[in-house]
Amino acid sequence: MNSQQQDAQPRPPVLSVRGLRKHFVLHNVDGRNVNGLNGVDLDVSAGEHVALAGSSGAGKSTLLKCIYRTYLPSAGTATLRSPTGEVELTALADAELAGIRGRQFGYVSQFLRAEPRRGALDIVARAGVARGMDRAVATEAAAVSLRRLNVDESLWDVFASVLSGGEKQRVNLAAGTISPPQLLLLDEPVSALDPANREAALELISDLTSHGVAVLAVFHDLDAMARLASRVEVMRDGRIVESGPPGEVLHHLEGVAR
Amino acid sequence: MIGASPMRPTVLRVEQLGKIFGSQDPAAVAQTGPDAGSEKSPDGSSVVAAWDVSFDVASGEAFGVIGESGSGKSTVMRAIAGDHSASAGSVWMQRRDGSTSDLLTMSPSERRALRVDELAVVYQDAAEGLDLNVTAGGNIADRLTAAGCRHFGQIRERAAELLERTEVPLDRMDDLVRTFSGGMRQRVQLARALANRPPIVLFDEPTTGLDASVAAGVLDLIRSLLEELGIAAVVVSHDFAVIEMLTSRCMVMQHGRVVEQGLTDQLFEDPQAPYTQRLVAAARA
Repeated sequence: MNSQQQDAQPRPPVLSVRGLRKHFVLHNVDGRNVNGLNGVDLDVSAGEHVALAGSSGAGKSTLLKCIYRTYLPSAGTATLRSPTGEVELTALADAELAGIRGRQFGYVSQFLRAEPRRGALDIVARAGVARGMDRAVATEAAAVSLRRLNVDESLWDVFASVLSGGEKQRVNLAAGTISPPQLLLLDEPVSALDPANREAALELISDLTSHGVAVLAVFHDLDAMARLASRVEVMRDGRIVESGPPGEVLHHLEGVAR
Repeated sequence: MIGASPMRPTVLRVEQLGKIFGSQDPAAVAQTGPDAGSEKSPDGSSVVAAWDVSFDVASGEAFGVIGESGSGKSTVMRAIAGDHSASAGSVWMQRRDGSTSDLLTMSPSERRALRVDELAVVYQDAAEGLDLNVTAGGNIADRLTAAGCRHFGQIRERAAELLERTEVPLDRMDDLVRTFSGGMRQRVQLARALANRPPIVLFDEPTTGLDASVAAGVLDLIRSLLEELGIAAVVVSHDFAVIEMLTSRCMVMQHGRVVEQGLTDQLFEDPQAPYTQRLVAAARA
């Protein structure tokens, strides 16, 4: 953060979204058109945690998925910058996008999608190796992260497919945040956790931003947003309708974002 | 361009590949495909099993081909493997010596040589990839000797290493493959396919026909091998779970044509073509 203040020019945002639109054509439902995003502009800088708020169907997850290209954006741009250059994600060839996914930017959903016959420690360590960590270092880091998220050590080598929903979600969060890329998209990453485990998970997410990761997140509860977000963007009908620090924005969202 | 982006070299490039069975009448192409609702020409003399199929695969990447029975996905794989001759197109492959060859213009003997150590195939039916009346060790040794290995001790050692890696109990090494279960046969087939460290491996429905729990184990093994060995893979399957687990990009075929190509998660979560939307909806239901 200090280096940013010393720079004559502020560093450009890690992520810049401009005019992003998404409409779905449901060919098998009379060719019906459904608008998901109606032109979104958004910046996320290093060390910033931007929370997306709004009722369900407002376009929060659609925005994350369009940036990650799990959804094919219909129009607009999403530019990802690193110290060495920038890429426009919506126009990147599939093979190139697949090559930088997970390494340059990551997506953490609420569900663990891993090989059914792998243990938690192996899943998290492999995620680290995929981001260039040495296997031994990755295994060590995976252990630290699982311990921090209170995943019982006796479960580390059990097939992850037999873990509980909350355990799987913590394994998923550990895998998504080990040796984190410069931009993380978080989609309800703590939705299945009980209060104690949720607390540990929120602390881990808070540490990401303090280590300079740019975070764009969707949480279903205002409390998590109030604690973690440096800025809240309120969405309605596929647009951002309000933006500001959590203290200013969240108080009149009671009952909307829950 | 972002600096650390590890773009790996393309090792297989399929260009406008086509295969017509029966009369090689070019007019059949316009009369077939998704719009015509069939891969068979109206007069019944030609079957356009695959047409205008293009894709490329880099080392360390797995590319999926998904479709229903008769969509042409296995035809594509067999044309690349050389099991079928092709009617049109090119299949460019980066060779070990750094040169590039079009597999479709090679002589049969050149193609057989290629299958020894540069391009391996894992078939749905293990009987196609293995000699069932030979031992597990013998099936692997056959590949190693074809590649020029003559030292008996080294062959045994490498065969044992491969069987261990594919989780075949070593005490079964000298048993005939026909005494093996379906899942175990697939593991031996994998061991044989990988024997000479080929840079490209084609998988044709590698887990179809296996019990669900056995299929999960074989799938997990394939996934690990792909991660560790950095090979370029083409995975052909009708099973969404297989394509989802193994590949990062894929294409959908119907009536011999490609209807859609994209990132695997995008294709399943935001399919664009009407046919893919129907296919995904049916698989998720």
